[in-house]
Amino acid sequence: MLSPRSILLASHGTIGAQAAEKIALGLCQSDTVLHHLIVVPDLWRGMMGDDWLNNASTRDTYGKYVEAQLGREIEQHRAVLEREISARGIIFQTRVVLGKPGQCLIEYAAESKADLVVIGSPRPPGISGLRSRMPLEKLARALTVPLLIAPYPK
Amino acid sequence: MVYTQKTPWTLVMGIIMVAYAYMVQNGMMEPVIKFLNTGRHAGEMQTLGFAFGAVAILVGLWQVLAAPKEGQTDYYLSTVAGLMFIMLIAFIVKWGLDPLMAKWGREAQPALGFNFASVMNLNYVVMGILAGIIIVNVFKVPGWAENGVRLSRLGLKTGVILLGTLYSFAELAQLGKLSIVLIGVFVLGSVGLVLWIGARRKLPNSMTGVMSAGIGVCGVSASVAAAPVVQAKSTEIAYTIGTVLLFGVVCMFAFPIIGKALGMGYVQFGAWAGTGILNSAQVAGAALAFQPGGIETLKVAEIFNITRVLFLPIIVLWLALWYVKREVGAQQVDVTRVIVSKFPVFVLGFILMFLLSSTGIFAPARHYQGAYFDNSDKALVKKDRSGKEVNNYLKEADVETLKKDAEKVKRDDQKAALQRLIENKKVMSEDDDATLRGIINAKLMSKEGTAVLNKAHRAIRHTAAKIAMFRDLIAWFFTFGLVGLGMQITVASIKQAGGQPLVIGSIVGVIKAVGSLIVVMLMVSETV
Repeated sequence: MLSPRSILLASHGTIGAQAAEKIALGLCQSDTVLHHLIVVPDLWRGMMGDDWLNNASTRDTYGKYVEAQLGREIEQHRAVLEREISARGIIFQTRVVLGKPGQCLIEYAAESKADLVVIGSPRPPGISGLRSRMPLEKLARALTVPLLIAPYPK
Repeated sequence: MVYTQKTPWTLVMGIIMVAYAYMVQNGMMEPVIKFLNTGRHAGEMQTLGFAFGAVAILVGLWQVLAAPKEGQTDYYLSTVAGLMFIMLIAFIVKWGLDPLMAKWGREAQPALGFNFASVMNLNYVVMGILAGIIIVNVFKVPGWAENGVRLSRLGLKTGVILLGTLYSFAELAQLGKLSIVLIGVFVLGSVGLVLWIGARRKLPNSMTGVMSAGIGVCGVSASVAAAPVVQAKSTEIAYTIGTVLLFGVVCMFAFPIIGKALGMGYVQFGAWAGTGILNSAQVAGAALAFQPGGIETLKVAEIFNITRVLFLPIIVLWLALWYVKREVGAQQVDVTRVIVSKFPVFVLGFILMFLLSSTGIFAPARHYQGAYFDNSDKALVKKDRSGKEVNNYLKEADVETLKKDAEKVKRDDQKAALQRLIENKKVMSEDDDATLRGIINAKLMSKEGTAVLNKAHRAIRHTAAKIAMFRDLIAWFFTFGLVGLGMQITVASIKQAGGQPLVIGSIVGVIKAVGSLIVVMLMVSETV
């Protein structure tokens, strides 16, 4: 049975990620440090698309709104996870970054010196959600610690 | 914050531009120009090459040698590198890829049975946008160019403002009326349809709201304007913008192909593209793709686009009120603030330019009505690029051809006009020109005779230099804007097309495109 001292959990509130959260929490002992990584995919950089009509104030309002909205959604997700973690007395750190999910995970795994990385499975076809997948093969090659992929809930 | 990034690339681009212009000026590029048949662009190759190259060299030197300090100067100069980057791409595409593709298209025609470059509209506009899309998705826009690339929307707005100089009162009134009717029906209709489908499928109001704006009004811009008003969730925004971008890019390629296949005229295609394409950025692209050598289609399409844009504040206000009525705790709407903040100010610039041109400040009124009449010696005998005299009077052989066909003309006025043409070897008046056009249209003469009449007509009809300059300038502003906008269309955002917005967007988008096509084909005639 695995008994890592430091776990890196990458999750962002989707069903697959929630399964990863459950497994990560199940592996935590009282002295385990749980590093929670939330990646805001860099696809949001292109989410103003080819808008050309709006004036600067409308674009600014939109930019601030999207930032705030993403912030709210992350905070909701973090709060739910924190409630569960606090009840178990696990040491918990959250990191929010903007970038390519796979790349961010590799970088944070090295920085946090985690013993184990836990992520959710790719979303099965037909389930809606943002299309921003981690390249699993690249991830497996680049990580120097075990990678645990939680099965997608049936 | 200092915006300027130290890079040698601005300087390098400047040197390339100046060197190219110099080589064109000295005839060193003549074999390439001949091979690509781009002699008509030689003038602008020099003017634009020297002008942009000089600016790029100066700013490039400043970027390399000076230490930029925080402030307005730094901010504005930081955009120059990106601007030059877009212009360099546009030069390569317009003076290189476009003629090369046209040449390949002609050469492959016997083997393929069709001219692929013409059928697929592989002209500088389409290839410029494609180049932008490839750069951002395959290579990434370099950091030093990002600020300037964002400037591309200013290029499009400036193009629209300048376009205001090219309309007559009658044109604007007729196109305006037509666009209000078509846009009114299709914009309000599709917004209403999305709201209705959203209610039927019990979708969240925030999703229905942002979707109806994006799919109904003018695509990404409307989604950007409406998302905060209807408090859309992040995934709802991503789905909608992804769907609109996907549709926009597909339409930009599909519309011109369909338009040509159906034999649509400039007015018909402009009206259809301006109404049926979901995303307003692609309207200009489709119009220029349909007619790369002129701006008649663009003129029509942009009037429709402007009308659509003018609907935007009204629709956003409508959605805001609609949302407040349905959501407990939604923020109350300040009507004046919504209207003022969403009003497209650049439309005022367009109106101002139109009013100024109507006073005759840029060119005499008759110069705006297409090509104007001038049969003076100065207009008929000109010098070409190499300084060789080009005489546009009819030649003896042309006169003989006309004499042979003269007996086929029976009407007295036509006989008289033809006689005057034969005697003077040029069309003698605007009335004669109209009468001779009647002979051409009635196909009274042989193929050779008709060709001579056409030649005589072209010799005395001219585009005013100032109007031609405006047209070139406008085409360049649009090219700059569209290449830059291409650099902002990421595959990552298009890939987000999905969920209910994709389903509803597909239904409403297709209804709008097909519906507007039917209406345009049935009700819009080719002349305005």
